[in-house]
Amino acid sequence: MMQTAIAILKKDLRMEFRSKESILAMWIFSLLIFVIFNFTFEVSRLVMLEIAPGLLWVAFVFSGMFGLNQSFSLEKENGNLRAMALMPVDGGQIYVGKFLSVTIIMLMFEALIFPIFIIFYDLQLSLGMFKLVPVLLAGTIGFTSLGTILSAVAVHTRNQQILLSLLLWPLVSPIIIWSVTLTGMILSNQVTEAFYPLLLRVGAFDVIFFTLSYMLFDFVLED
Amino acid sequence: MRSKIDKIILIVLLLAFLASVYLIFQWVPPIKASNPAEQIAQRIFYFHVPSAWLGFLAFFVVFIGSIAYLATRDRKYELITVASAEIGVLFITLVLITGPIWAKPVWGIWWTWDVRLTSSLILWLIYVAFLMLRRYLPDGSKRANLSAVVGIIGFIDVPIVYYSIRWWETQHPKAVMASSEGSLAAPMFFTFMFSLATFTLLYVYLIRKRYQLLTLEDSLNKQFKEMEIL
Repeated sequence: MMQTAIAILKKDLRMEFRSKESILAMWIFSLLIFVIFNFTFEVSRLVMLEIAPGLLWVAFVFSGMFGLNQSFSLEKENGNLRAMALMPVDGGQIYVGKFLSVTIIMLMFEALIFPIFIIFYDLQLSLGMFKLVPVLLAGTIGFTSLGTILSAVAVHTRNQQILLSLLLWPLVSPIIIWSVTLTGMILSNQVTEAFYPLLLRVGAFDVIFFTLSYMLFDFVLED
Repeated sequence: MRSKIDKIILIVLLLAFLASVYLIFQWVPPIKASNPAEQIAQRIFYFHVPSAWLGFLAFFVVFIGSIAYLATRDRKYELITVASAEIGVLFITLVLITGPIWAKPVWGIWWTWDVRLTSSLILWLIYVAFLMLRRYLPDGSKRANLSAVVGIIGFIDVPIVYYSIRWWETQHPKAVMASSEGSLAAPMFFTFMFSLATFTLLYVYLIRKRYQLLTLEDSLNKQFKEMEIL
């Protein structure tokens, strides 16, 4: 049943592992964001700690745009998008495949940039940091679930990259706001009882965004 | 294309707006406030809130129109959606302008990242992106499909945005948010309802006009195409 989705996922991941285009570009771009932030906001270490969660998510979101843009523009280049639309399968399958590949690539990039983040901002490693795993997972899934469908929408326009940002950022702002709050709780070692309900809320909206996109994807592919 | 109904609506609108200006600036008693500037500024409420209401109504129509389009593929619904989105953006723009005009004398600042202000701004951004998407796409069924999809996602996102910022807001309470909640006095309530009705009628008039214009454009384009074939 999920064969198509898995086939697309495999193809995308194989392409990524061979070229390493997306991950490398995202990683370098995030590094740049850290450097630029450091110069533009010359603040004390204490203030830096306060804005660090926001900075981390800014890096994720800005770099994530690269992966999302790439995801469908590569398909469009050689007319594969049209071929996909003609496939006699449910459009939702294509969505799931694309969503999974983008999400996995982005999570790998996050895992690779996080050590750099720790070094740059001199954060204390602790066991509590493992709580970041579900936060990054939930935040990233929210971002990519909406991002995948909107990337498929924006790819048809002349100004794909800017339009994807314009469409996605306002819509995904709730997920980002919550993810930053949750990340801040962990980094400042102040995980209150509000943590899990909030995490659950992000998860719930992930499900909403995913289901909505899954249902609507057929219309996006259609000519 | 000028129908009799439009003419009647227009005349009623003119009279209603004249009446509401009289009600707002002459008839309704000023609120009890220590700051005289606030007494004057408060009257913007009768324009500000109906504009916001109209914006929400317009975006709701975008949502329904998008679903109707995807279900029926009728061009009519696409045009209604566009007309409504344009009007919605216009009135949320008015909300974002009238808000700070009121806030400056009352709060002492033009803008604060409060839940209502922030979510209105994000709402505005969502539908501006919707209109820009349409501008970047060539006319056709593809454009209609894509914008309908965004129209649906956008509207479902609106309450989530509001909810998320409210949560975040309670984490950082703002001292400037003086609560002025409470029941409205009878003359104020009447003026407010009158203004609300007038604005709603304005929406009806605007969407009718915009829709007619869009269908005219459509038929003109069709004629051009036929001429090209010849």
